[in-house]
Amino acid sequence: MVVLSAARWVRSRLSDRFWRVQEVLKHARHFRGRKNRCYRLAVRSVRRAFVRSTKARREKKRFLRELWITRIEAASLEHGLKYPAFISNLLKSQVELNRKVLADLAIYEPKTFKSLAALAQRRRQEGFLAALGDGKEPEGIFSRIVHHH
Amino acid sequence: VAKTSLTSPPWPEVKLPDPVEEAKYHAEVVRKVNGLISAGEYGRLFAVVHFASKQWKITSEDLIMMDNVLEAECGDRIRMEKVLLVGADDFTLIGRPLLGKDLVRVEATVIEKTESWPKVNVRFWRRHNFQRKKIIANPQTVLRINTIEIYPCLS
Repeated sequence: MVVLSAARWVRSRLSDRFWRVQEVLKHARHFRGRKNRCYRLAVRSVRRAFVRSTKARREKKRFLRELWITRIEAASLEHGLKYPAFISNLLKSQVELNRKVLADLAIYEPKTFKSLAALAQRRRQEGFLAALGDGKEPEGIFSRIVHHH
Repeated sequence: VAKTSLTSPPWPEVKLPDPVEEAKYHAEVVRKVNGLISAGEYGRLFAVVHFASKQWKITSEDLIMMDNVLEAECGDRIRMEKVLLVGADDFTLIGRPLLGKDLVRVEATVIEKTESWPKVNVRFWRRHNFQRKKIIANPQTVLRINTIEIYPCLS
C-alpha cells in the first residue's frame, strides 16, 4: 500500500529534555529555597536574575561615580576645601584627573592629594583676586556722583 | 574712622605671597627635586596614565586588564605616552594636563588576549510576551607594567 504521511502514533518527542532543564537550573544552584531545585520556580527566578543583572550593569557606573565623589569630598574637606571648589579649581589649572583616580590618590597617596588640594586652593585665591579687580574705577567715568546745578 | 559692618567686604581678605620670593622658592624646589631624581633617591614610583580611554593609577609590576582589543601581539613591549601624574614618596610631578615624553617613560608588555566571561543580557517585559536573550563575551587584554622611569630634566 502507498503511505503518503507518517502514521498517527509516530510523534516527534523531545529526547534532550534533561539538558534543556539543566541549562536553566545551573544558573539557579546558588539560590535559596525550592527555586534552586524545581524547574517551574527556577525559570522565573533565573529570568528575573538576568534582567536585574543587565539593569545593574548600567546602574553600576552611576553608583561608582557617586562613591568616588563622596570619597573625594571627604578627603578635600580634611584639607579645608569643599568638593565643588576642589574640582572646579583643578580643572581650571588644567589638571585633568578623573574622579576614579582622585579617589584612589586620596586613599593611597595622601601626600599627593594634599598637594593637589593646595594647588586648587591657590588657584581659587588667584581667581578671587582676578574677579575683585585692582580696586580702581573703570575708565571713561569721570565722576560717580551726579551734581545737579 | 570707626569700623562698621560695611567698612570691609564680608569675604575674607586674600593675599598672595610676593612674586619675587615665590619665584626664588620655586627655583629652589625645582633644583631640589632635580637633585633627588638624578641621585635616584626615590623608592617606588607610581603614575597616572591615560590609556584605552580610561585613567589608571599604576606602579611597576602590576597588571592591567582592559575591555577591548589591542593591535599588538602577546609579548610586545608598549610605551604609554599620555602620563598625567608621576609621584614617589617625597615629590609628585603633576602634568597640565600631560607630562613631557622626555620626562617620564612607562613601559608595559602585553601578556594575554582573551574574552571575558559570557555575560547574559536579558530584556523581559511581563505580560507582553517579550523576551530577548543575548550572550556577550567582550575581548580583553592583560598588560603587565614593567617599569616607570623619570629623567632629571625639569625646568
